[in-house]
Amino acid sequence: MTTAMTCTRLTIFTVAGIFLQIIGLSIFVFGFFPVKPTLSGVSGSESYRDPFCDSSPISNESELHHPEKLKLLYQVIDGLPAEFVLGKDGKPPWKVWKESMPYTQSLLANGDAIGYHAKAAPPTVTMPRLKAMVSGAIGGFLDVAFNFNTQALLDDNLLGQFFRIGWKMVMLGDETWLKLFPGLFMRHDGVSSFFVKDTVQVDRNVSRHLPDELNSDDWNLLILHYLGLDHVGHTGGRNSPLMPAKLKEMDDIVRTMHLRALMDRSHDQGQTLLIIVSDHGMTENGNHGGSSYEETDSLMLFIGLNSNISDYASATNNVAFQVDLAPTLALLFGVPIPKNNVGVLVPGTLSSLRDFEQLRALELNSWQLLRLMQAQIQNSSFPGFSCNCFLDGTCEGLELDISECSGDKEKQLICLFRNAAVLHGIWKSKKSTESSSAMEDFSRALDAYNTFLKTASEWLASKTTEKPVLLLGLGVSAMLISCFICATVFLSLFKDVYHEPKDQVCSLSFLLNLEEMFIFALLLILVISMGSSSMVEEEHYIWHFMVSTFYLLLLFKTSKSFNFSEGMNILRDFKFGSIFSLLISGRLLRGWHQGGVNWTYLPDISKWLQQAGSGYVKWIQLISNFLVIVLGLYTLFRTESNRKSVRILAFGFSACGFLTLLHAGRYQDEMSTDFGATVTVKVIYYLLSISAIGASLVLPWSALNKDKSFLAEVGDCLYSIGSAYILCWCLLQLLLQQPINSGPILLLLLQILAILCLSSNDLQVNEWVEIAALYYMGMAGHFALGNSNTLATIDVAGAFIGISSHSTILSGILMFMITYASPMLFLLSLVMYIGAKLRNHSHSTISTHPETSLGQILKLKLGFPCLVPLCINSILLTAYTVVLLLMRNHLFVWSVFSPKYLYVCATTLCTYIGVFIVAATVTYACSVTTFLKSNRTRHNNS
Amino acid sequence: MKEAKKKKTPEISIGVSISALGAFSVYLITGLFLAVGFWVIHNIYFVDLISDPSLTLRLLWIIEFPIVVIIYSLLRRNPEKCSYFRAVGRSIVGLISGALINAFGAVSLGAPIGMQSLPRTIHWSFLMSVFTVVPATAVFGASWTDWHRVFASLKPTGNIEYMILIPAYGAIIGAWFGAWPMPLDWERPWQEWPVCVCYGAIGGCIVGQIVSLSLMILLRKHKNLKLA
Repeated sequence: MTTAMTCTRLTIFTVAGIFLQIIGLSIFVFGFFPVKPTLSGVSGSESYRDPFCDSSPISNESELHHPEKLKLLYQVIDGLPAEFVLGKDGKPPWKVWKESMPYTQSLLANGDAIGYHAKAAPPTVTMPRLKAMVSGAIGGFLDVAFNFNTQALLDDNLLGQFFRIGWKMVMLGDETWLKLFPGLFMRHDGVSSFFVKDTVQVDRNVSRHLPDELNSDDWNLLILHYLGLDHVGHTGGRNSPLMPAKLKEMDDIVRTMHLRALMDRSHDQGQTLLIIVSDHGMTENGNHGGSSYEETDSLMLFIGLNSNISDYASATNNVAFQVDLAPTLALLFGVPIPKNNVGVLVPGTLSSLRDFEQLRALELNSWQLLRLMQAQIQNSSFPGFSCNCFLDGTCEGLELDISECSGDKEKQLICLFRNAAVLHGIWKSKKSTESSSAMEDFSRALDAYNTFLKTASEWLASKTTEKPVLLLGLGVSAMLISCFICATVFLSLFKDVYHEPKDQVCSLSFLLNLEEMFIFALLLILVISMGSSSMVEEEHYIWHFMVSTFYLLLLFKTSKSFNFSEGMNILRDFKFGSIFSLLISGRLLRGWHQGGVNWTYLPDISKWLQQAGSGYVKWIQLISNFLVIVLGLYTLFRTESNRKSVRILAFGFSACGFLTLLHAGRYQDEMSTDFGATVTVKVIYYLLSISAIGASLVLPWSALNKDKSFLAEVGDCLYSIGSAYILCWCLLQLLLQQPINSGPILLLLLQILAILCLSSNDLQVNEWVEIAALYYMGMAGHFALGNSNTLATIDVAGAFIGISSHSTILSGILMFMITYASPMLFLLSLVMYIGAKLRNHSHSTISTHPETSLGQILKLKLGFPCLVPLCINSILLTAYTVVLLLMRNHLFVWSVFSPKYLYVCATTLCTYIGVFIVAATVTYACSVTTFLKSNRTRHNNS
Repeated sequence: MKEAKKKKTPEISIGVSISALGAFSVYLITGLFLAVGFWVIHNIYFVDLISDPSLTLRLLWIIEFPIVVIIYSLLRRNPEKCSYFRAVGRSIVGLISGALINAFGAVSLGAPIGMQSLPRTIHWSFLMSVFTVVPATAVFGASWTDWHRVFASLKPTGNIEYMILIPAYGAIIGAWFGAWPMPLDWERPWQEWPVCVCYGAIGGCIVGQIVSLSLMILLRKHKNLKLA
């Protein structure tokens, strides 16, 4: 056979494939989820200084004039498309919408208000949009994903700046604000956005405080966040019959606030600026999240700016970006612009200011953007800039005249800024002397600044959202190649294993029988279902359904070979019993957590138990804890050799089990803030890791039984190590998982034992099918433990068990362990599986291949357990990468597909780790046993 | 072993045979009764599968069961040894045990077992039992060898066994595929358990009947060619 693979070649090819995959994956991830460099810290007085001048005199003033008692009323109407108020393409809004908001429309017509179509960046969901509005930054997807332990907005933002200058803030409405800004508000009343069907009460709960708050004089900023309109959209779409009434309600609130503001002004009680914004728009059906015009078309309406706008068209026909709100408000209220802002001052909002103030505001905005650009362009491409060189005319190589800007984008931006700064300088120097040409200079400087700001903002925004095509293509092709390599290696191994021994060819009547077909069909179905967002959300149904179907196929196969005339011997009973226990435990696991997104409200076992009282949960926890220990010790002692080392190991595990029970019984109620609890947990961690590592290192060396064959020896040893691994992992999970999940852990252990029992009783199923089934069962168990494809189901609380100081890495590792409990458990069980196979093999063909080399054994026994999970994972990963690339403009790309991609990546990592542990353990055990054996034969010979 | 042999020898020699046309008429009658069942439910009880699944399913299997028993008992094995009424009696036992098996399969694949959906699951499994197990019990009785040969080894001989085997598997596979739209978020009423599964089962059964008919015709031609 020419294509015979040696063990070394197999390993080299596999490792090469994996490396290629890792490289491709990381290239793709960095291409698809760009991580932009951000500036840390908050803007302070340095923002009033030239970014090229470190030594210039410190001025803590923005040099802008602000009225003494300036108040800000900030009304957020969730999900209101700007089209409802401002119309579209220069046309006024539809009659029904216009008539529903008479007061707002009259304000627009009188020139008291100015409205903007504020383009929002996807994902158009509330929390990222609020962040964009107050910080001016467009967050990347990974920012959301990596901020698992806090929802608070830690970046520099407007509210933080207001807080720093001593503003008192009040918030009424969506409690997202409270999560984002804990502790900033003097008074607050949060409402939940959870009850989407509620369109009335949710807004009443906001408005009920409004009269009191408007009458009280102790706040500077009042935020009102109305959710009702978004709920109306979700239930009935844009043309819902409830929409006009809801718009009318919003209009009434605008009137109330505006009248109050007018009254304050007439009584000389300070000026109040009223801003009405929406965080995102909605589609015809009332959904949002994507990047269509309907969803990104959000509203920005300023009332009370004293801007001199005469006609309706110029009050409504303006375009801005949502992020522009942050710098505009910062400049209007005299606080530093947030550091990572990419927005620009909204033109038309400053017309009440004097000329030098307007230019100063633009200059401040430009300086802030320049600072951000400096962080983005790492290399020093700001040549010749030095302190005040524009004013002194000492810039190297730069003349004091205006040049046409061309060249690449970075150069162009520098040039534009230079032009603006030069014109500003000219205007400043001339201001005192000549007044005739000052007006012309002023408008030139204004235009130059606006051009620079617009270009810079677009460039910065595109930096955060653009996707480099080259990187994506490179990543995907690398993954495709590695997938191909894995499949080729698998196929060649398949050929090697199933076509060499003659007797096995005959038993394979078909090339592919029912189960093998099914394994492939499952893979295909999974790949196809990944393209549908609802199937991604409800992926657990596929896994449970397919795995149960696999059990039924096993049942069918077993009953096919069942022969009545042979009678019910014990072996068959075991087989049927195992399959039935698989079916029943699979069903219980499926019913334990009603996962997914759309049907989470349906009853399930965990909800039922929790409703029945915590006592039941505790009982289940104690019982499963006990049973896990008993089962684990039973498997540990099942090998015939009752060695001393095994007994020591068993003692270690019993101690761990006892401690886990203690922890469960005593500390879990008080959320383990106790010192004793932390110490107990740490002791368990150390004991478990010592036992597991010790088992894998020491057991192969321990006493050798003389009359056993090599394979039986290795098999026994691996079986013990495998059961030690499994027991260790189960105990760890019992400690870390929520108490309610201890039942599924026990069931998963039962499943592993059942399928091992089946495979050792000659299931008549190919080895690779069994391994693939183990992998699939692991994935089904992953969902049975309450996980889903949204990031919300990650158990964050468990990630801090036993950690005394805050450490992101440690809690990240713990979180990974909790989330991937089941796939890892099934991968670790492969060690036990290999051990059982080796023992069986040695029983049946004890001396057929007396001098098989170590490499040959490793190839035959370790090849499939390593390659099958890697291959399945590689296929799923590559397919999902392609799906994500195709879906990059889909509505749910950020809410459904991207979180799923993170899960797929984590599954890949889990598979790598699991397979590495299996391969290392088996190789180590085999080589140690070979070494001992050869040593002994040498000893005997001499 | 001895018993099995004894059983086998008379069975093969003595058996009712049926032509493809006969099979077609059997299918037609059972199909007609199913249609009548739907008509009765729609026009007399004014409900359908979506609005009241458990009542509809109950009526369906109650209407369908007698006709299946009456017809398939005529086609029973060993008509001399086994009286007609015995065939009817054993098919009632078959109905119940088949319902248990089907319910077990459905629940293990994820059918809900809450108090609300329990009646639906029960009546659905009775209907499935009428499609799958009842004809076989009426014909084979408790002969394990026949059951094993036909259902597990998939080696049917003769037209009657085709009529039993293929529509039964068709119904099961159809029901399996019928469960696929359930998790999709289309928010249609027919995505509820067991509506689409029922449609899938009935569709699969019909496809199975067509396949079995065409197999009968093809095999007969094949046989004729062989004889000639």
